[in-house]
Formats: sequence, structure tokens, C-alpha cells
Amino acid sequence: MNTRLLMTLHVKVGTLLNIGPVPHGIRRTAPLAGGTFEGPRLRGTIVPDSSADWQLLRSDGVLEMDLRFTLRTDDGAVISMSAFGLRHGPPEVIAAIGRGETVDPASYYFRTMPRFETAHPAYSFLNRLIAVASGDRRPEGPIYTIHEVL
Amino acid sequence: MSDGIESRPLMVLRLATAATQEIGPTSQGTLMIFPVIGGSFDGERLRGTVLSGGGDWVTAHGNGSFTLDLRVTLETDDGALIHMTFTGVRDDANHYFRTVPRFETAAPKYAFLNRLLAVGIGEIRPEGPVHVIEEIL
Repeated sequence: MNTRLLMTLHVKVGTLLNIGPVPHGIRRTAPLAGGTFEGPRLRGTIVPDSSADWQLLRSDGVLEMDLRFTLRTDDGAVISMSAFGLRHGPPEVIAAIGRGETVDPASYYFRTMPRFETAHPAYSFLNRLIAVASGDRRPEGPIYTIHEVL
Repeated sequence: MSDGIESRPLMVLRLATAATQEIGPTSQGTLMIFPVIGGSFDGERLRGTVLSGGGDWVTAHGNGSFTLDLRVTLETDDGALIHMTFTGVRDDANHYFRTVPRFETAAPKYAFLNRLLAVGIGEIRPEGPVHVIEEIL
């Protein structure tokens, strides 16, 4: 399977909202305070007020992520991005992330599958591709390295 | 995969479908349903058959591109049931057919499927659709 770099997305997380135990696990919401993205074919900023990550900590210890971001390119196009993701790993690594420490991204599994929607002709290629992102949870927010699946 | 994202083979999925149900134009595009009546899957870690009763809900968007929404039940050769879904993109103009499968199972032996993300490369063959599915590492 071949891929190529689409963009690197740096996310600034706002204040987490703990919803608490719900029927399928423990739910919390992470609103995004902003961020930037940059790649060979597009770059710009994350629109903060319409972007968040709805998280569910499942009973098997896996964190499910449901991300909805709005991206604005440096030439004014607006792109809707959504991603389903999974994060899990050794308990001590997940605990260190919880304490706000920086850990080696290779020590846990953090992957998402982004999809894009845009009406802008210059970026319509995004409507027709599947992508895979590798995540790196930093104290200030995650960094997603997103690759297009060729 | 290149560029730092790695994958490994999970399974090759072969689907047998019944006559297409043409629903027609809807708010999303032109909907057609491919009923799944059987098939097989085979990989190093799991193999078995596809149960009848699933389907792929395919919406044509008019420019040669389609979105897919599949759900099927897999039964392994040792009797475990696995619920599998995928969404996907088919763009005939660019010979692009990729899916994002997800799995749910209660069988402890196959619980690793609950914790992984995967990508499928699809192909329409005379005998039916074939999806080569890789686990994202």
C-alpha cells in the first residue's frame, strides 16, 4: 500500500469537558482552540469555533475519537474534515499522557482515518481520497501527520 | 506503506452479491444496494466465510465517483462472528477504490480487530468485488 504526505496538523486543545460515564463508556469532549496545517498541496489554519474531538473511553481501554475540524486554507477555501480514530497502549504510557507528559509516539497506538469535504475547485481532490493519520499527543495538543492513501 | 505509516496484510475479502437493487435518485445521489449473499475472507490471522444478509449501500455522485457503506457478518473457520462495516470511495475516473473497514467482535481470540484501523484496496472482478485489507500499524 502506497501513501504520500498530505499535511501535518498541529492542534491546540481547549478545556476538556467531562461528560462522564454513558452507556458505551466514558465520554468527554475536547473543543479545539485553534491550530495550523501544512503540506505540499495545502496549508492554513483550523477554525476554532467549529472544531472539536468527541471522545469515548471504551470498557476495553480503547479511546475512540470522533473529530470534526473546519480548515481554512491560506487562499480562503473552507474544508470540512472528519476523522474516526483509536488510541490505546500500555497503561503506564496512557497514564503519562493523562498527566500531560510528552511520550514517544511509537510507544502507543494513535491512528485516525480523516475524510474531507470541500466545495472549492482547487481542493476537490480531497473529496475523493482516503487518508490515514498518525497521531502524537503532546501536552499542548495532538500533532497529526496525515497521509493520502494512493 | 511509505513515508512512515506502515501496514501489514489483514485479509483478502471476496464478496458474492445478488442482483443490484436500483433505488434511484435520492437527496445524496443515486443509490444502489448490492446485497451480499456470501463470500470468503482469508488472512494469516483469520479466515472464514461471509454470511448472507449483508450489503453495500453505494451512492453514485454523477461524476464517476461513488461512496460506499457496507455492513456484513464474517464467520471464522473456528466459529467466531465478526461484525464488519466499511465506508469507502470509488472514483472510476482515477481508478481509485479504497475503503476504511471497522470490525467488532466479542470473541477474545479476535479482540485485536476491535483495536485496529484498516484500509482496503478494492477491485471489481467478474466473480464479484475483492478487497485487499491491510491493518494500519
